[in-house]
Parts: sequence; C-alpha cells; structure tokens
Amino acid sequence: MDADQSQHAPFDGAMLQWLEEQASQGLFTTDSDLVIRTWNRWLAAATGLPASRVIGQRLLEAVPSLLDRGLDAHYGDALGGQVKVLSHTLHRYLVPCPRATGDYMSQTARIAPLRFNGGIVGTITVIEDVGERLVTETRLRAQIAASEHARAQAEEASRAKDDFLATLSHEIRTPLSAVLGWIHLLKAREPDAATVRRAIEVIERNAKSQLTLISDMLDMARISSGKLRIEMTAVDMAAVASSAIDAVRPAADAKSVRLVADLPPGVSIVSGDADRLLQITWNILSNAVKFTGEGGMVVVSLRSDNTGSHLSVADTGQGIEPKFLSQVFDRFKQADTSAGRLYGGLGLGLALVKDLVAMHGGWVQAESPGPGNGSTFTVHLPVRPAGAEATAARPRPAMAESTLKGIHVLVVEDDSDAREIAERSITDAGGSVTAVSSATEALLALTSSTQRPDALVSDIGLPGTDGYSLLTAVRGLPKERGGAIPAVAVTAYASAEDAKRAINCGFIIHITKPYVPNTLVTAVRDALDGRI
Amino acid sequence: MILNTIQHDALVELLNIGFGRAGASLSKLTHQRVLLEVPHVAIHPISQLTHSLGKIVVDRVATVHQVFTGPVAGDALLILDPVAAATLTELLTDVPPLSMDLDPSSREVFTEVGNIVLNACIGTFGNILEVPVSFSVPEVDVTSVNLVIDRMLESGDAFRYALIVTAGFRLRDSAVTGYVVIVLTVQSLKRLIEALETWEQRQA
Repeated sequence: MDADQSQHAPFDGAMLQWLEEQASQGLFTTDSDLVIRTWNRWLAAATGLPASRVIGQRLLEAVPSLLDRGLDAHYGDALGGQVKVLSHTLHRYLVPCPRATGDYMSQTARIAPLRFNGGIVGTITVIEDVGERLVTETRLRAQIAASEHARAQAEEASRAKDDFLATLSHEIRTPLSAVLGWIHLLKAREPDAATVRRAIEVIERNAKSQLTLISDMLDMARISSGKLRIEMTAVDMAAVASSAIDAVRPAADAKSVRLVADLPPGVSIVSGDADRLLQITWNILSNAVKFTGEGGMVVVSLRSDNTGSHLSVADTGQGIEPKFLSQVFDRFKQADTSAGRLYGGLGLGLALVKDLVAMHGGWVQAESPGPGNGSTFTVHLPVRPAGAEATAARPRPAMAESTLKGIHVLVVEDDSDAREIAERSITDAGGSVTAVSSATEALLALTSSTQRPDALVSDIGLPGTDGYSLLTAVRGLPKERGGAIPAVAVTAYASAEDAKRAINCGFIIHITKPYVPNTLVTAVRDALDGRI
Repeated sequence: MILNTIQHDALVELLNIGFGRAGASLSKLTHQRVLLEVPHVAIHPISQLTHSLGKIVVDRVATVHQVFTGPVAGDALLILDPVAAATLTELLTDVPPLSMDLDPSSREVFTEVGNIVLNACIGTFGNILEVPVSFSVPEVDVTSVNLVIDRMLESGDAFRYALIVTAGFRLRDSAVTGYVVIVLTVQSLKRLIEALETWEQRQA
C-alpha cells in the first residue's frame, strides 16, 4: 500500500461502514463469481436475511428467485461492463422483501459492475423502496380519473341539455304551427261554420298540448329543485281513474281506441294528493292511448291488497323493446329520438310519473312482452296509514255554468290580449267590466269610479306595483271605498306557494293562466258568494 | 467522413442485430411481441448535429443518456419526442403516464428501455471490435432539444462524429419512432469502420 492509498483508506472504510449501517437503500456487492461480499443493514432488515448468513453464499443460492425470474442475466451483463436499471413497473422488485401485508416491497434497482484498478472485480446492486412514491402516483391517478369522469359527465349533461333544447323547440313549434296555420286560413277567406268549428278544435287541441308540455316542464323543474309539495288527503283511486278516463276519452274515441275500466269503487283509498294522482293516472293513460293504434284497446284496472293499491293500465299498442324498458322512466327519453319520429312529446311524462309516485311512497312498473305486443304500466301505492281520514276526496268536478248578470268587475291586466279575454269572459256571462292595465289605474278606478265594482280580477305579474301589493293597498282602504271587495288573482305562476301568497294578501281565489272563460266566471261567482 | 455502401450496409446489419436483441429483451420483459428495426442510419460531423437532429425532432425531447468508455468511447442517447416516449411507455406497460413530461414511474420504464437499446447497440460494437466497453449509469431527462445538442457539443472536442440511427419500435399494431445518437471521437469512428470492414470480409 503506497502513501496515497493509506491516506484514503480510513475514509473508504468509514464510507463503507456508513453505507452498511445507515443507508436508506439496499446495497450489496458480489465478487466476479457472484458470491455475496457485502450485504447492508437495510437489506438485512428488509429481507429478513442477516448479513452473517448470506455473506460468502452465492447470490443465486441466497436469492434463488433471481434465477427463477430470469434476472440472473443482468449480473452476467454487469460483469461484462454494462449497467442495468430495473424499473418497478416492469419488474415489481429485484430481491423479495416480504411485507406484513402479504406482498413484496415495491422496488427499483440498479446493477453495475464493480471496478478496481481498471478491471471488473464484481457487481454492486442498489435497491430502492418506491412504495410511498407509488401511493402518491396512485392517488394522483385516481384524482385525474375522477376529474376526467366529472368532465365526461358534464359533457354528457351538456349533450343531454342540447338534445332536450332541440326536442323542446320542436315540440313547442309543432302545436304553434298548427295554431298559426289555422288562424291564417280563417283570416284568408270567409270561413264557413264547419271550417270555423274545425279550426277551433285544432287550435284548442294544440294549445292544450302546449299547456301540458309547459306544465310538465314546470313540474319537473319543481321536483328537481325540491319545491314540489304534495298535500296528502284520503283519495279514492277509483274516482281518480274515472276522471282520467273521462279526460282521455275524446282522444281515444278519435282513434277508435276502446277504453275498458275495471274500477271497484271504495276499495282503493290511498293517502295522496288528488290532483297529482290524477296527473299520474292521466299521464299513463294518455301515453297508452298515444301509443295504441286505431282499433286497439286500453284496460284500466284497480285492485287492492295488504301491500297497497295497484292501478294497472294495459294496452294493445306498440309495446316496448326489452333494452328500452329500463329507461322508459328516464327524463327526456323516448325510444325513437330521430327527427322523423312518429310520436311527439318531450319524454317528460313518465319521468314525472315516476317522481310523483315516489313522492307518494310508491313505485311504478313498466312491463312489455316486446315490440308489437302492448305494454302494461302499474302504479303501486302504499297502504293508507291508519288514522287517516276515510272520506275519499274526489277530484273537483267540472264547475257548472255560472252567470254574472248585473255584476260589475274591475279587471287589472297589463297584457292587452289577456285583458280582452277576461273582459269577454265576463261580458259573455252577463257582467260588465272596467278594464285597466296597472295597479295605479286600478286604485283610481276603485275609489273614483261612478260605478263601484262588485269584484276585482287582478293579474299578479303587473309592471311596477304587482298584484300582491295592489291587493295589500286595496285591503288598506275603508270598506265603503272598496276595501273589502271580493278579489280573484290570475297568474301564470302555478305553484301551491304562489296560490298561498295570493290568499295571504287577501285574494279569495287564485286561478292560473291559461284558463277557459268558465273558470274565471265561476271564480268571480265563488268570490262574490264567499265560496272557496 | 462518409461511409461507403459496404460499410453502411455492414453497420445497418450490425445495428439490426443489436436492435433485434433489444427487441427480444423487451418482448420477454413485457410478455408481448416488440420489434425494433433500423430503417435509417447516417453519420455527420458533430458540428452538423443541430442541423441534422433539428430536422427530425423539434422543441422538447425525452432522452436516456449513457457514457461509454474503453477503446471505443463516446456518448449514446436514445431520443424521443415526449409524446412518443409516453406512448411507448404506455404500450409497454399498459399504464398511461400522468404527464407528457413523464412521472417518476414512467421515467423509470423509459430509462430501462433506453438502457436496453443503448446497451444492445454499443454492446454489439464492443463485440465486433472485440474490446471491452464500460457504461455509465443511464440518465433520463425531458428537456429542449437545443439543450441536449449544446451539452453534446460542449462535452468534447469539435472533431467528433455523430451516428444517427432511426429506431422504429413496433408493438400492438402501433409504431413509435425514436433515434439513437452515438457520438464518437475520430479515433473511435476510425476503429469502428475498420472493424466493420473486417467483420464484413469475415461474413463474405
């Protein structure tokens, strides 16, 4: 040993000792016969093989899996001068280090020739535990996947919205073009009575279909935002089904679809909202009529057992593809979404049915033996809780024709067309009208008019002072100046909350636009008579 | 210094043997068929590296760099466009990289691939020259191509030559192209060419 070497020796030794005792990586060396010469403390702890046992042993005997896994070739290459890197992804590990979890420590490794005095005297292997790094990468991958998923969902939602808007504009335009077309025909030439009758029929049917469309959308929006309230009373489902059958009968008759009812009265009393239960039944029933061809049949039946009440609507119509059966209650879904599809509608009706039935604690079921073989929809409603009122509230019957002979009505409405309809409705029923377009004019008419009005009909959505404020001001007037005048609110806001607010302000009755003339006349009559 | 046809063909043949070996190693490692081909080889003075490399890779590159020493010495690099490197890594492992700059695990895989390819190339040279070749630890980097070239130019004398080998990886019906750049001293290149001729004569 020359002087230079002897100066380095203590440092080389100290470094080797540090690597053996303190390194946070696995380190081992072999000689050129692949006999293990050093094996550091980290490796002894990780493998469970103490240095005293492996040093002096041949590497491939101490770690036989190297041979089994074909990794021994790397040691041959290293002895030939090559440096080898072994990634975790492609190898998982080099030297098996069992963990408490039952698997092996995740490793990356480097195998290199060990040189001394210009020659290769053996190999050195450095092993790193990459477990923590992999956890971080896995977490990052999961985050990326989650954000990708969220993005895909947002795109899907956006696509669904676009589809919906396209369908919506189509569905809104279709009835409008029928209405406008017939109006054009009426204006173009002197129509005979039959043409006028036909025009009115078409216009009415299309306007009603548009009203249903908009009502469905509003209901759906209310359900989505949790604003739809249902008022529970005891309801006879037989009465509900009868009303629904009456409502769809004209459409069924027009297609020669036979409606058959098997509705034993009084046996199916459920707890629910009569209007909503009618909406549910009507939706299913009108769907059945819509998808049943000429000469077909729709059977409505009701039965009751200890699990609840079961209303079935079976038709001989076009039936449902098995793959579409699970989607019939999804929003905006119709089996045929092509531009040339046969049946109109937004695909909201059955989605509404599902949500409304769920709000009643029940569920709805669709069955079909397949295309061309008809389908059956069944609404299952739970048994009415004990103690609920036994009287069956039947949906309000159609109101009788009323008269307003000798009655003077103050109409407040900013929209001239709506104002004219209100005026005509009242004058046709024998009443007289003062019509104004704002709250200020209304107060003036009420207090200074020579002919004091007997009743007030006011729109709520007035510009400036709205209908609620108007009525609050009216109710502040002395009785002899009209402070107690019976008042009817007319709004396009159809929610129960809007109605409640109108009543709280002092309106006696609240009706929603659009209305048929008789509804307004009856409302004025009821307000005058104090009937609500 | 330009190779004559015989030398060029011999070099391509030799590189193909090396690449074939690398492809076999990758196939065994990933349990799928990996082919590695040499469609093109060119030799330029190192001063033209900017021009010749700039034509085939622009902007950023992913590289694996190994220095080799011995009677034949120089630098060896595997160079891929980062997107191609990410694709290759994903094709080999089925794990998509987290970013174009390659996450640590993907860098490791790319390093191992580079290590296999460069060892096979340089190892083949060592074999025909019948001289021992020693390698440094491979280093991976994702950086600008200009920086890679500058480092090469600054690392030795100006009279070196760059051997640019196109490396075509084929796996799973996909093709990924990379480049192996071997920078040699005049002396080393001369020894290599002589050895090529000897090898060619022996083959004939």
